[in-house]
Amino acid sequence: MLMYVRLSQMREGESGIVVDIQGGAGARQRLLGMGITPGVRVWVIKSSRPGPIIVAVGTSRIALGRGIADKIIVRREL
Amino acid sequence: MLKVVALAGNPNVGKTTIFNALTGLRQHVGNWPGVTVEKKEGIMKYKDKEFLVIDLPGTYSLTAHSIDELIARNFILEGNADVIVDVIDSSCLMRNLFLTMEILEMGVKNVIIALNKIDLAEKKGVKFNFKKMRKVLGVPVVPTNAKEGRGIAELKKTIVEMAEGKITTNPVTPVYDEIIEREISHISEVLKETALAEKYNLRWLSIKLLTRDEEVIKLVLRHLGHEKMDEILQHISELEQHYKRSLDIIIANQKYEFIDSLIHQFVTHFAEHKETLSDQLDKLLAHPIYGIISLFIVFYFLFKFVFTVGTPMQEALDSFFASLGDSIGSYITNETLRGLVVDGIIGGVGAVLSFFPLVFLLFVAMAVLEDSGYMARAAVVMERAMRKFGLPGKSFIPMVLAFGCNVPAIMATRALDDERDRILTMLVNPLVPCSARMVVITFLAGVFFENHKALVAVSIYAISLGLALISALILGKFVIKGEESPFIIELPDYLIPSWKTVIIHSWERSKEFLRKAGTVILAGAVAIWYLSNYPQPVGTGLSYAEMIGKTLEPLTKLMGLDWKAAVSLIFGIIAKENVIATYGVIYGVGHTEEALISLMRQAMTPLQAFILALVTTLYLPCIATIAAIRTEGGTKWALVASLYNLLLATVVGILAYHLGLFILG
Repeated sequence: MLMYVRLSQMREGESGIVVDIQGGAGARQRLLGMGITPGVRVWVIKSSRPGPIIVAVGTSRIALGRGIADKIIVRREL
Repeated sequence: MLKVVALAGNPNVGKTTIFNALTGLRQHVGNWPGVTVEKKEGIMKYKDKEFLVIDLPGTYSLTAHSIDELIARNFILEGNADVIVDVIDSSCLMRNLFLTMEILEMGVKNVIIALNKIDLAEKKGVKFNFKKMRKVLGVPVVPTNAKEGRGIAELKKTIVEMAEGKITTNPVTPVYDEIIEREISHISEVLKETALAEKYNLRWLSIKLLTRDEEVIKLVLRHLGHEKMDEILQHISELEQHYKRSLDIIIANQKYEFIDSLIHQFVTHFAEHKETLSDQLDKLLAHPIYGIISLFIVFYFLFKFVFTVGTPMQEALDSFFASLGDSIGSYITNETLRGLVVDGIIGGVGAVLSFFPLVFLLFVAMAVLEDSGYMARAAVVMERAMRKFGLPGKSFIPMVLAFGCNVPAIMATRALDDERDRILTMLVNPLVPCSARMVVITFLAGVFFENHKALVAVSIYAISLGLALISALILGKFVIKGEESPFIIELPDYLIPSWKTVIIHSWERSKEFLRKAGTVILAGAVAIWYLSNYPQPVGTGLSYAEMIGKTLEPLTKLMGLDWKAAVSLIFGIIAKENVIATYGVIYGVGHTEEALISLMRQAMTPLQAFILALVTTLYLPCIATIAAIRTEGGTKWALVASLYNLLLATVVGILAYHLGLFILG
């Protein structure tokens, strides 16, 4: 099983640590402001393709489109 | 001059509830200058003193990447606020304090933290040491639960004390690692030589430069010149190579680490991270299939509620205005004046005003969905389908509301945080047939297609909605510039909305509708009354309206419609049901429906009736809608929407007519 995956590839119930955010500055800075930053633990609440993916970041819940979820690299916790 | 209190904070933290609690009903909704971002102002009273409270747009950070963030940031930066109240959600401290740090980093000292939703945090098991928190953050912290009014009195008192200079603060600001700190002092040294030093906090400018903030780069460039600026940017590139990442990530990261170290000093118990009730609900409501089914059920009941309660009110208002016209008319002896007052003002404005209950109820329903947290889920469920047409999932709400009335629908586009998305949704919104057009469609379908009336009505809806989606695709590609925004949305916990907030919100929004009825719509109604009564009244064939109709006839003839249709369509601009009423006036049968039906049947073929219904649905939006687009998006886009719809209706009308002739042989 791969350790490093894109957030969009994670399954429901899985969690991991964000290691990098790729993509344009606009989207990146929005993610940073919402607490999705390298080192933060995310936990996938809901991911049913091809719809958006819902992740838990601390106590808040954020829905992300597949496009932007592709740009977030996560180290999966086994 | 009143002292100014600015409210800052993340979205969904209860900022609006705090705003309402501080100002009560003494508030005013408008736009920030030059942009279509809502600006709310209100008056806060404390003993015999008054303060102006301004609600800044809800944001997660203060970058230059969104118009909302720039508005909030510039407001603080220009020193426009005597007191800044930073509203934070105490059940989600980490992320909320990020914005707090962004604010404090600007070097402002006049900040109060409203630690809102304190009840929710306590329920989740979070415990605070407030005294320690005040000491660590260096600014006043007031725990509040705005929904129940807890802490509001203390918040007001603290605001007043700070405005009067009775509180000294010592705000904490984030500290970064050695390399970043060294770079910050280096850039600050360079900037010290410039005029910037007088107006701005140099540490803040330096940090923003490191994150390559476009606005700050522009600002500094003006004072520093290209040579020194290039030197700084070169340095930043080297640092980025060192970290192997852009510095905005590094700085945000270190800011969060700093916040984490603060939180551990004043939070004594943390919430467990576990699946919540909201998460369980989302398994159903945000599910790609069950979610869509629930969405349809929710909106079905929404419209059922709005129409069940609103339609009798609308009919009552309608007959009220009719009898008001009659009774006032009997006192006016001058015939011209009577016509102006009864038909023009009371008739025209009354027609639009009778929609007020529907508009208000739609706003209520919308506010309930918004405040309960459901709107964000609807956006999630519709995201993929809408995106195919270049629209974001969030634009689904205004599109659905438009089935009731386009005016609240256009106002609902405010919830879209991207300018491109907002304008695009506004432009295609009139293509969703509202309840007034439903009246015309069902009337014509019933009169001319007795056996297939449902099919005909549905086909007109289908054509119109299809055109809305195709238009979104075309306008989004060629007319409105800008990239599609990535889909990122916070899903707040489901909550039972506060009725006070819902009612205040709905009233503020629908008040604008009433104001329009008194201004633009009044003017339009009088103009149309004039056109239809001078130099001779309609029906004689000598009124300006009929002359315009006859001038337009060569064009409408291409769609198979005569001058009567042209005149009706002109009057339909006031309110779409007028299209039918005008036929009554032209034939001189007034409101006697049976006579009208038989006369119309003689004058038109079913094909022509179909085209009339279709064109009524597509052409110029009604005055109230055009006025709403103008308020929300500016005169330019109101014109674009009007012209686009007119053109579309003409082209589609001509095509459909000839296609119909061809099929029918």
